[in-house]
Amino acid sequence: MRKFIIIIIFITVITIIIKREVLAVPMDSSRFKIESANVEVAGGNKSSSSYKLADTVGQLAAGQYSSDGYIVKAGFQYLHSIIPFRFSISNINIALGTLVPSTPTTATTNLTVYFGGAGQYQVTAIEEGPLKTQSGNAIPDTSCNGGGNTCNESLAKIWSSTSAYGFGYGMSGNDIPADFIDSTYYRPFPDRTAAESPSAVMTNVNVGKNRQSTVTFKANISSIQPAGSYQTVVNFVATPSY
Amino acid sequence: MRRFIIFIIVIIFIIIITPDAQAQQVSLSLSPPLLELFIKPGKSIMVAYRLDNLGDPAFINLKVLPFEAKDNLGNIRIKPEFEGPVRFSLDNSDLQLDQPFFLKTNGSQQILLRIRIPENITDGDFYYSLLAETAPPTASEGIDSARAKATIGSNILVTISNSGNIDIKPRVVLFDILSKLKFNFLGKVIKIFDSANKVPLIFIVENKGKNMIKPEGQITLKGNFGETAKYDIISKNILAESQRLIEATPSASLDCDDNNRKKQICLFPTSLILSGFFIGKYNLSTQISFGENSPMIFGSTTFYAFPFKMGGGILIAVFIIVWIIKRNKE
Repeated sequence: MRKFIIIIIFITVITIIIKREVLAVPMDSSRFKIESANVEVAGGNKSSSSYKLADTVGQLAAGQYSSDGYIVKAGFQYLHSIIPFRFSISNINIALGTLVPSTPTTATTNLTVYFGGAGQYQVTAIEEGPLKTQSGNAIPDTSCNGGGNTCNESLAKIWSSTSAYGFGYGMSGNDIPADFIDSTYYRPFPDRTAAESPSAVMTNVNVGKNRQSTVTFKANISSIQPAGSYQTVVNFVATPSY
Repeated sequence: MRRFIIFIIVIIFIIIITPDAQAQQVSLSLSPPLLELFIKPGKSIMVAYRLDNLGDPAFINLKVLPFEAKDNLGNIRIKPEFEGPVRFSLDNSDLQLDQPFFLKTNGSQQILLRIRIPENITDGDFYYSLLAETAPPTASEGIDSARAKATIGSNILVTISNSGNIDIKPRVVLFDILSKLKFNFLGKVIKIFDSANKVPLIFIVENKGKNMIKPEGQITLKGNFGETAKYDIISKNILAESQRLIEATPSASLDCDDNNRKKQICLFPTSLILSGFFIGKYNLSTQISFGENSPMIFGSTTFYAFPFKMGGGILIAVFIIVWIIKRNKE
């Protein structure tokens, strides 16, 4: 009996240590994704004395075209992807309601990027100016809690103090910058009117088919903030890689 | 009583027919996402794009802006103003660049982009992005709000060459393994992994030439028992006078979402992640070309792997067994 217990313990310990995950054979990796190809009756290579053309009928601008003076490479046949590049914003009117001094207000919208085998993409964000009224009163961009928790356009920090005023954003979900550690971390938007460069808010160097993130807009005003209707426009730009 | 019943019916009717309030959303698709054009001065071509609106009806503005490489990961930085000798226009009779047009839900618009290279332009590369941007929604009076504008891009890489020759000047910047455990021994850096750990490789190539290049080749892994594995380089453009992280396939994948984003291995993008059970010395090497008659570049690195975790486990098991035997004897 004692031998039996010893053997069982030994086998259990060894099994736990050397245990490897059992995975189904995937049809993709971080570097590629196998997708069902189109079956096209007229696809293939064509040529004449003056040109060579490889195309897939039914796809716009697909194929490699070679002629005297130029060569064009475009489309899924070249990129081996049948999923077009697609970018969605779930809500483009992010209402912050009526702002109350020292009472932070938040509102969210979702960004989604669909991309196939071509993979890499980035989404950047920039505000067309600070949150301001038509008369020019502005809510400044946030610097978060300040001190050791001072954030900037490329570094998120904790913004939890009700006496830290401004306008900024936090992020959660897929492919977001690593400095958005949790829901208390925020950054200010870069400001186009201050000649700042857009910040990357989503990026993936690998295959991304349905990548989604949530942007949380946050505003907090002081008691001396003039009354008015504060507005701004934030431009989200999604671009594929080259 | 009858009035009350009619009132209730009217209320129920209003509740039923009132549609749910829905947020205004945008969803745009643009294809092809990338266009590469090798062209002589004085030539002109037309390329057909397809823009789909899968969200709410929207006014969309088309424009072309130049871009440059932002980093070595393939990301771009769009410049705010147009520059360069390449001329863009639309062949559509009803569309123009920088003139907004309406696209209904599930609507599709073919964009016929004319790209023209003037005569007497010196050889070189020029990089642009065709951008389709939505107009932001109108501001609501009395409500503080941020309004979002969506822009989707498709990249256009133009190489202008009179002769058809391109300038190929590649250089290996980095071909190395990311290891937590490494030390110097007789002037050599020894990198050590546990046998069961994933081994990340970073491979960066610099293009010092005036034209973009595309690497072709393999990364080879050789073990001390003669075992060999080959990984194909994924052929991606390296823009003129820039660097790019070269990736290879098949590579193991990492879960870098949510809780894992701060892990060391997730902080640095990698070229290749080796997974398996490694024991002993391994050599990784690569040989890359950039098309016919192009110069070759080489890289090589070494790592060692030992079964630390398994050995530790066996030691613990042996210790427990000895302890149990001793206790039972007592």
